[in-house]
Amino acid sequence: MISDVTKKLLIILILFSVFTALPNAGRSQAAFGDRKIRFLNAASQEARKDFFTIIAKLHTQTNFQQAVSQLDSLTRDEGIGGMFYAYGLMAAYLHTRALLPDSFHAKIRQVYRRRTMYRGDTENHWVMYYTGLYLAAQTWPREDGAQWFNGKSSQENFAEAKSWLDHWIKLTTTKGQGEFDSPTYFNAFITPMLVLYDFAQDPVMKKRAQMLLDYLFADFAVEHLHGNYGGGHSRDYPQDIINPITALTTKWAWLYFGEPNFAPWSEIKGKSRHPSWEAIAGAASSYRLPEIIRQIATDRSTPYVHTETKRVRNIIRFGEERNPPVYKYTYMTNDYVLGSLHGGILQPIQQHTWDVTFVSEQPHNTLFTLHPFYSGKELAMFFPEEQKVLSDEVNRYHLVYTNPNKWNSSSPYEQTFQHKNVLLVLYNIDLNAQHHHIDGFFPKPLDERIEEASKWIFCKAGKTYIAFYPLQPYEWIEEEVNWRWRSRDRKNGVVVEMGTETTHGAFAEFKNRLRQAKVAHDNFDETLTVQYTTQTGEVMQFTYGGQRLLNGKPVDFKSYRLFNGPFLQSDVGSGVLRITYKNHLRILDFNKVSIKDEK
Amino acid sequence: MIRLSTRGLILIFGLFATASLAQEVSKKIYAAVLFNNSKSNVTGADRYVGVFARAKGKTEWKNFSNTNLFAFGLNFTQHGATPRYYVAGGNGLHRSADGGKTWKILTGWETLEVLSVALDPVDAKIIYIATPFGIFKSRDDGKNWAEKMRGCKSWYTDEIIIDARDRHTLYAAVDDDLYRSRDGGENWSPMQTGAPGIRTVIQLAAHSNVILAGTEDHGVRVTIDDGKNWSAGKGISATAIYAIHAASDGKAIYAGGYKTGVWRSHDLGQSWLQIWTAPEIEAIYSLWVDPANADHLFVGTNGKGIYESTDGGMTWKPAGLEGAHVKQISMFP
Repeated sequence: MISDVTKKLLIILILFSVFTALPNAGRSQAAFGDRKIRFLNAASQEARKDFFTIIAKLHTQTNFQQAVSQLDSLTRDEGIGGMFYAYGLMAAYLHTRALLPDSFHAKIRQVYRRRTMYRGDTENHWVMYYTGLYLAAQTWPREDGAQWFNGKSSQENFAEAKSWLDHWIKLTTTKGQGEFDSPTYFNAFITPMLVLYDFAQDPVMKKRAQMLLDYLFADFAVEHLHGNYGGGHSRDYPQDIINPITALTTKWAWLYFGEPNFAPWSEIKGKSRHPSWEAIAGAASSYRLPEIIRQIATDRSTPYVHTETKRVRNIIRFGEERNPPVYKYTYMTNDYVLGSLHGGILQPIQQHTWDVTFVSEQPHNTLFTLHPFYSGKELAMFFPEEQKVLSDEVNRYHLVYTNPNKWNSSSPYEQTFQHKNVLLVLYNIDLNAQHHHIDGFFPKPLDERIEEASKWIFCKAGKTYIAFYPLQPYEWIEEEVNWRWRSRDRKNGVVVEMGTETTHGAFAEFKNRLRQAKVAHDNFDETLTVQYTTQTGEVMQFTYGGQRLLNGKPVDFKSYRLFNGPFLQSDVGSGVLRITYKNHLRILDFNKVSIKDEK
Repeated sequence: MIRLSTRGLILIFGLFATASLAQEVSKKIYAAVLFNNSKSNVTGADRYVGVFARAKGKTEWKNFSNTNLFAFGLNFTQHGATPRYYVAGGNGLHRSADGGKTWKILTGWETLEVLSVALDPVDAKIIYIATPFGIFKSRDDGKNWAEKMRGCKSWYTDEIIIDARDRHTLYAAVDDDLYRSRDGGENWSPMQTGAPGIRTVIQLAAHSNVILAGTEDHGVRVTIDDGKNWSAGKGISATAIYAIHAASDGKAIYAGGYKTGVWRSHDLGQSWLQIWTAPEIEAIYSLWVDPANADHLFVGTNGKGIYESTDGGMTWKPAGLEGAHVKQISMFP
């Protein structure tokens, strides 16, 4: 007889042998397979009523009756009926229909007949709404308008949904996303595309969905650092901004990239504030992330600069252009990522213009500044409701919009200039602005936070060093998880230079070098100009509302490509993305709807 | 759940639960359009939005449209025996051709939200809509839509109406000015009201040369000579005016907006007197004056439902739909 212990050892040995015998890609897929099973099992234990935990329960045959009962409840409540529901329902149905009792087919059909599925007004809303409608019209074809909530026939609904999805994919791959690089809303783009990939019967739509999944994951991968989505974001929530590892994207990173090295739903440090389990759509999907994208997401052996062009969300008022460009700059290292948007109002309410996010065992592994701006006019740029009541309305949903202490904001009075590991941020706050101060987030778990007579504030977090130079006087306000750095001058700014143990040796050496650095900002209140010479001898000169000069030459944002860096290259308007890693090349050509892999 | 938008309900006063609106027309139906309701604020899951109706003499409101129909505007036409109802909403332009039993969305994704709808009084196939991205026209009963913005500087358009004298003349509340088209929307010219941010427009039925525009920051702008000259309505707050409505004889005109209460004019909108401060109401989104009794008024609010007055606006009482944001109130004759 073989003992249980011996059996376990044998199983481990066999698994280890199989694992080590696999080539890289095979090993990676095996590891993904393990993670997706863990994820499905974890989600199947959730008591919460949710389409994606229902999928997990039915897939794993765990809490089966509870799942059936929950699905029944979700189809009965006619008060529910928005875009989240529209595609979530179809995802749950299409993933589990073979397992459902017969009565459910009619129940679910009835949902799309009786209740209005509200389309919403944001990019992620429409992706969810039209994905749901596309799959519903495909599932119940050849029905007349009387059988649909919107009075349109199956054929009409299918054509409209396809038309918009085609339009959105083209817009995204030629001008960039509007709700780009969002640690929260990434969820709302990836999940519908996974469902579309799994269930679209049209091979062209299926292929487009697959390509867009590659595209969005690649977009994430180049700004991913050990589970964190670093740098500037179009939209993010304060809790995730000050603790990046808790963002929804961490679950996707764990599932597809294998980082962070802990399960993001169970660890206290990283437990997401979001109860959502949409990433189950990945665990249940037949989509497989190309190995090249996982490698890009995890290989941080060589620092790199990556730039992007995105677009501003649809402007309906107070603009001369519907979707002006957004310019984004990211510098990635093995220890930190420093990234920034060029500044101004690029997204209402939830913009996160810049940050440094560093590798740390501690939570709150980030540092940034902002101007807490709000106005009805900002909201009226993007929402059709009455301008003067919008701030109050937004406060009802987002709670912090008018708060002077908020940690997310798009300000028309903030501009950035980044070159590699150095960032200049300038503010010129209008007298009529509601709040005249700027704030900085300094997490308490920093190893060190030192103020010096040189005016530099030096911080150390593991192997990451941060030098922070305020242009104006400031104060510190102690809060629960951080020190709030606050400066009350309307004409303001900071210089940030990053270093690491690798580049600078000991922290003392980093500080010694920075103490010699010259920040020229004489007459700043009049000139709004700062000049800084970096540790590598490059001269950055930045005038608020004026030029960004690097070694005397103006930085031309118009030359920015859609993606440009060592791993991703795409020209604005091209519809073609080249993904490269070492000697591997993957080309996504959205014009031809083709994927080409080369070595 | 994340919600950024606060969108559309349509209310129709006093509808019997099982009766169609068509059957109720002869009994005088008050209709109200709701785009949000503080009783339910989950994205796309607002069971209290839609078209609601209440019959004259009744107090109970009933949802008349599909559930979750986020709505901004309502219009009505009757060609032949069957009335048609149009709802401008978050999902597009909805139409019911069977007295409210079933609805069809006539627009696609290109028009985004629809904020207002105007119907040609002669040719039932001609429909105009106002949207955040401009004005669109259909000549074929909503099957196809064409953008009609030639001459407009901005694209955001809150409202569109048709001139009472000439069906080819239109007025559009565009963000930078009030615009007029004399050729069915093909070409537009700014009317130079002297104030940007036009939120609403009316033409007095009894005095067709009188046009009033509610603005974002400059109260009411008025012309009494068909647009040749414009002036500011005297006395009224220089703030946002979202709603203007007039008695059928034009002798009394009422207006309301952001923290304004209700104002009244007896001289074609040239001077105004506040008749209700309404301190508990942040904004008045809609106003309606009974054409048969100018002392009978309704106002629709943002989040406080509907208020009613039967003494020309001197006293008011809540009239239902508490919590609702009421974008329009109408009555079908």
